[in-house]
Amino acid sequence: MNQRSLRMTWLVARRELLQRGRTRIFAISTIILLLAVALGVALPAILSRGGKPERVGVVGGNPSTLGVVVQEAGRLAGVKVTVVPEPDVATAEAALRSGDVGAVLVNGVEVLVKQVPIGGASSAGGTLPGALAQLAGLSRLFEKVPAAAAAAANGIALPVHGLIAPSGTLANRLTGLFTVVLVWVMISIYGSQIALGIGEEKSSRVVEVLLASVRPAQLLTGKVLGIGLLALAQAAAMVVAFVVAGFAAGSSLVHGAATGIVLIGGVFVVVGYAFYCTAFAAAGSLVSRQSDVNSTIMPVQLPLIIAYALSYTVVYANGANAFYHVLGFLPPTAPIAMPVLYATGDVPLWQVVVSALLCAAATVWMARIAARIYSRSILRTGARVPLKQVLRRDLAGA
Amino acid sequence: MTTGELEFEGLRRKFGTVTALDGLTFAVPAGQVFGFLGPNGAGKTTAMRAVFGVASLDAGEIRWRGNPVTEQDRHKFGYMPEERGLYPSMKLLEQIEYFAMLHDMPAVAARKAARRWLSRLGLGEREDARVDALSHGNQQRAQLAVALVHDPELLVLDEPFAGLDPGGVDDMSAILAERARAGVTVLFSSHQLDLVEDICEAVAIIHHGRLVVSGAVADLQRGERPRLAVRVAGDPDGNWAAQVPAQLGEIETMRAGTVLFALAGGADSQRILDIARAAGTVEHFSFEARRLSEVFRQATGASVGQAEAEHAAAARAAGAPGTGGRTAAGMTR
Repeated sequence: MNQRSLRMTWLVARRELLQRGRTRIFAISTIILLLAVALGVALPAILSRGGKPERVGVVGGNPSTLGVVVQEAGRLAGVKVTVVPEPDVATAEAALRSGDVGAVLVNGVEVLVKQVPIGGASSAGGTLPGALAQLAGLSRLFEKVPAAAAAAANGIALPVHGLIAPSGTLANRLTGLFTVVLVWVMISIYGSQIALGIGEEKSSRVVEVLLASVRPAQLLTGKVLGIGLLALAQAAAMVVAFVVAGFAAGSSLVHGAATGIVLIGGVFVVVGYAFYCTAFAAAGSLVSRQSDVNSTIMPVQLPLIIAYALSYTVVYANGANAFYHVLGFLPPTAPIAMPVLYATGDVPLWQVVVSALLCAAATVWMARIAARIYSRSILRTGARVPLKQVLRRDLAGA
Repeated sequence: MTTGELEFEGLRRKFGTVTALDGLTFAVPAGQVFGFLGPNGAGKTTAMRAVFGVASLDAGEIRWRGNPVTEQDRHKFGYMPEERGLYPSMKLLEQIEYFAMLHDMPAVAARKAARRWLSRLGLGEREDARVDALSHGNQQRAQLAVALVHDPELLVLDEPFAGLDPGGVDDMSAILAERARAGVTVLFSSHQLDLVEDICEAVAIIHHGRLVVSGAVADLQRGERPRLAVRVAGDPDGNWAAQVPAQLGEIETMRAGTVLFALAGGADSQRILDIARAAGTVEHFSFEARRLSEVFRQATGASVGQAEAEHAAAARAAGAPGTGGRTAAGMTR
């Protein structure tokens, strides 16, 4: 590229930046996205921090032993607990109804709750009443055995070790999901802006005036560059909002691993945008009315939509299937699939790097084809240009 | 006229089965308003687009000052395409400024020039208006401002008079004449041959992608056989004209008692006057200019209207709504 070429490209990019960057819709969408990010990160942390310790009523039995049992049940269920001694069952039931306590341990032989959840409440996993029921049962069994109370006080759960290291934590998975939502939103919003912008230039016929002094490649490059810089600025602002809001709220989402996922998401926003921007441009150049743009960009978006839809199954499953691993390396789906795979701990970092490099390399290939379609169809008016025709002329070397 | 600032040499272009340009050759001199005329579908738009590389050629060459047109040259050209187009939502001043910068003007000079041309074209008050908020006439002016803002050395305007009211035609022709006087090469196209014959000094008339005739308008109107109009009082049928020998001139036609002669090359008109005076009182004796549409008809054997109808039928037969030049937008005019 010589200097004139660079100048032309920059002038086109500059126009996009100036014209789009100061529209109200850009300002509003930026504010909404930043607020969504900040709330998404900070809200769970703020809510869980404000949560009161669970109150458990105790009636009868040995208060100190039962107190230990309740504390241990809280530890197993992952909640803080406060023991509330109740004088009798009637008072305890009243406290339960009023919501003053969440569960009552009666005489060490029975657990009362306001309503038994569907699926039962006596399983030890997860819920406080379940843990309480199991522990109190054990404790009662061991009462006949000396040192039962001491055993309970030291914790009765056995350590669990897995043969395979744990795949990504739930927090990481959620961060991954959050990240691909952003990757998807950024690529599809800015991609359709490219297609619409090119559709506008074509349908308003301003493109003929432009092409009298600017080459199609310069016009195309300037356009995707200008819109890309806006997208990048918005994405960077969102990452900053994520980090700032996360630290400010003390969110568990902001620690080493999660930040890494967000950064990898940022990389794939850039790589994915680079790969898709020219394809969106080519799609936009095929229409002659702006209203037709939506139907021509649909096929372009399809791989992203598929990867995005499947990402939910991966985030909530333990271990991604082979198909999704393949998607992680195919350039059209990698921008969505790879951050998910990394977040769930299914791929090591080096594979992420390989996938990003593959996608970047495919960008060159995509840009070549798209630029050819664009320059062939941008001046053709009338009905929508059939892709086959543009490509056939290409093969014929026209 | 074989040399000029801008030369079209053997241009050929086919769109499928439709031939748009078929060896078109002519030259445009500097400092004149030059009309590029012909019926719709004659290939004018394709040729003009080729100047800017917007249409590709199968064969032929376009030269600017003796050398094939380069990208650098094009930055010194101004273009107003047949299908007008500006960014609808962009402010007027910013838009003109943008196009000036795309033609190598630095930012400050671009803004100054945009302001100057907008006020010159009567749009000074509207510089912050969005283009789609402008009236149709003002959008045309804005389009002209885009073509003019960078002080081009060559102006190429495709159908600049289409859709203009009489006042607009006068304004446009004044600007073209003024630019030509400033040394700019001005090439504009029109399918309304008679409308523009007073506006341009020289023309090239084309048909079926080939040159029919080109030269100074005055020469073409006069032709190789100048037209002489003579009326003798008391002879409404022009019987006296029978006495004029064939080597002096032939009777072209009669018009309400006036005989129109096509004078033979080098013949002395005064001898016809003598014959007329011998026949009676000469009420009228003058050379008459032919209309350019007549020049076209004489050269091609078809009227401009017939030629356009013929082209439209051929385009329909080829199954194309246009030959790359015509679009839905272009058809509305």
